[in-house]
Amino acid sequence: MLDRFGTGLKDAVKKLAGKSVIDKAAVDELVRDLQRVLIQSDVNVKLVMELTTTIKKRSLEEEPPKGMGAREHVLRIVYEELVHLMGEEVDVRLESQTILMAGLQGSGKTTTTGKLARYFQRKGLRVGVICADVFRPGAYDQLTTLCQKVNVPCYGEPGETDAVGIVTRGMEELAGTEVLIIDTQGRHALEDELIEEIIALNELSSATHRWLVIDAALGQQAREQARRFHEAIDIDGVIITKMDGTAKGGGALSAVAETGSGIVFVGSGETIEDLERFDPDGFISRLLGMGDLRALIERA
Amino acid sequence: VRTLLKDREVHISEKKIEGPLQELEIILLENDVALQTVDAISTQMRSELTGSTKKIGSSIDNMVMDALRDALLDVLGEGFSLTSYISTHDHPVKVLFTGVNGAGKTTTIAKVAAYLKAEGYSVVIGSGDTFRAGANEQMKTHADRVGVKVIRHQEGADPSAVLYDAVEYAKAHDIDVVLADTAGRFHNRANLMNQLAKIKRVFKPDIVAYVDEAVAGNDAVIRAEEFNNAVGTDVVVLTKADMDTKGGAAISIAHTIGRPIMFLGTGQEYTNIIPFEPETLVSDLLGDE
Ligand SMILES: Nc1nc2c(ncn2[C@@H]2O[C@H](COP(=O)(O)OP(=O)(O)OP(=O)(O)O)[C@@H](O)[C@H]2O)c(=O)[nH]1
Ligand SMILES: Nc1nc2c(ncn2[C@@H]2O[C@H](COP(=O)(O)OP(=O)(O)OP(=O)(O)O)[C@@H](O)[C@H]2O)c(=O)[nH]1
Ligand SMILES: [Mg+2]
Ligand SMILES: [Mg+2]
Repeated sequence: MLDRFGTGLKDAVKKLAGKSVIDKAAVDELVRDLQRVLIQSDVNVKLVMELTTTIKKRSLEEEPPKGMGAREHVLRIVYEELVHLMGEEVDVRLESQTILMAGLQGSGKTTTTGKLARYFQRKGLRVGVICADVFRPGAYDQLTTLCQKVNVPCYGEPGETDAVGIVTRGMEELAGTEVLIIDTQGRHALEDELIEEIIALNELSSATHRWLVIDAALGQQAREQARRFHEAIDIDGVIITKMDGTAKGGGALSAVAETGSGIVFVGSGETIEDLERFDPDGFISRLLGMGDLRALIERA
Repeated sequence: VRTLLKDREVHISEKKIEGPLQELEIILLENDVALQTVDAISTQMRSELTGSTKKIGSSIDNMVMDALRDALLDVLGEGFSLTSYISTHDHPVKVLFTGVNGAGKTTTIAKVAAYLKAEGYSVVIGSGDTFRAGANEQMKTHADRVGVKVIRHQEGADPSAVLYDAVEYAKAHDIDVVLADTAGRFHNRANLMNQLAKIKRVFKPDIVAYVDEAVAGNDAVIRAEEFNNAVGTDVVVLTKADMDTKGGAAISIAHTIGRPIMFLGTGQEYTNIIPFEPETLVSDLLGDE
């Protein structure tokens, strides 16, 4: 099923490998195929155009390093630019910190909050969680159920409508914890009052990190939504959720580009254990629907 | 007269439509119509337009645009009126909501319940998500707020049994409509899709409503197809249309499974649900004034 769409770039790379000269026509063809694959993976169309313009320019203008063939040179440029697209490498410090969760409705913030609590707890840190979602019915039940499974304290005030008040009191209550994670309600770029709310929560909590949670299936909107969140609270990391489905997560890359950050974690299932650190090479393989591009370059 | 008419028309070459067609392709892609869908629509338009004639003086751009509008309306079809369906079928009418995680199923059910109540129908909800933490509480709170009875079991219970009970309740109390929630699931999880098939066998829905988000990108095509293959889809609901999106996913899904779109979800309030209008969506998408 997936192969039906995934062969595009593999064929293109094969075609490239079979060519004796790598001229403009060959690069154009590769770039066109790359554009299609990236757009199909939901990377923002404008971003794809920028990226492929750079690849084209570099491929035609840069001299291959001594001893490197033209083909290998072009593939290496593609690989480098894709790695660049993945953003900064984000290191997760095992020290005291406050993490503010942000994102669109239903993106996976609450589930990921539970997973992060589990992650830091496993690393031997004292973790506490605050439910600052005052809107979604059952939000507190959802988060406490997740936290109870791993014995992490969860502060919340079901029925209260002032998120700022909850976080103020929650921070006092959970003063002894090392890693504090604040779950917030879903919101989007056009909801001004909610954007104001998360600005207030960020200021109040002096959060060490503000992580934007992005559904792997999110399409072209990712860029604009991320821009607005970044403008509001200075996003310093992106989490991609629902990577256990068939979506490719290209939207998260648009968010990375917009926020100048990187991908911190990847969610790959509904249970509290389904959280992984980000692996750029694995992600690129999936994005392109082909095996390890780096290994392929080494063989080129 | 005949020759005169001929003189005023010119044949359209593939070369001439290529430019405008490519521009429109980009517009569709930037609005989340899946690449595969854009390819299919564009191929069809290319073959229909090439060799056709146009009046001297009319612009190719307008002509291609009009053809695209027609093609999109054709893909979207007529929409689906739930109230017409209910008024012409035996009660209780049973609607099963399916879809991937977080798409908006539970919220949509609350909105549909409120909508049907306002239309004068009685409704019961079956809380068929017995899996996700907090799902029962979420459905219960929504149901209380819109003033509708909800049937639920313990977390971890068999969802088919809950929905069976909801139908029994509706029959015993002369309720018009049963709305059945299900846990979100991914189409590539065979066991969960089998469970959904079992739910369908037990609940015997009149309508299977597949819920997805208007902001979904290319995956919308894959999952719509897989859900349709596994349990069938009768109508589609597209949520989160308020997220500054033009709803390209509607085109992708309708093109892939050929099912009508019933409602658009346009926010988190119970009133934020509108019966789908194809013309409005196409105008938005193509940036009409
Ligand atoms: N399969 C899968 N499901 C996930 C993953 N992350 C979250 N989910 C599911 O996605 C749905 C939405 O997740 P939530 O954590 O409630 O999302 P949220 O962002 O907190 O939602 P709101 O608070 O309503 O904005 C739930 O059904 C989760 O179980 C994941 O990595 N894989
Ligand atoms: N902005 C907006 N948010 C919506 C809309 N519909 C649902 N939501 C929100 O999206 C989030 C997820 O909605 P749910 O109804 O819980 O989704 P679900 O498909 O039942 O999720 P699972 O049961 O976890 O798979 C909630 O925060 C809803 O309030 C909509 O039309 N617009
Ligand atoms: Mg939440
Ligand atoms: Mg639900």
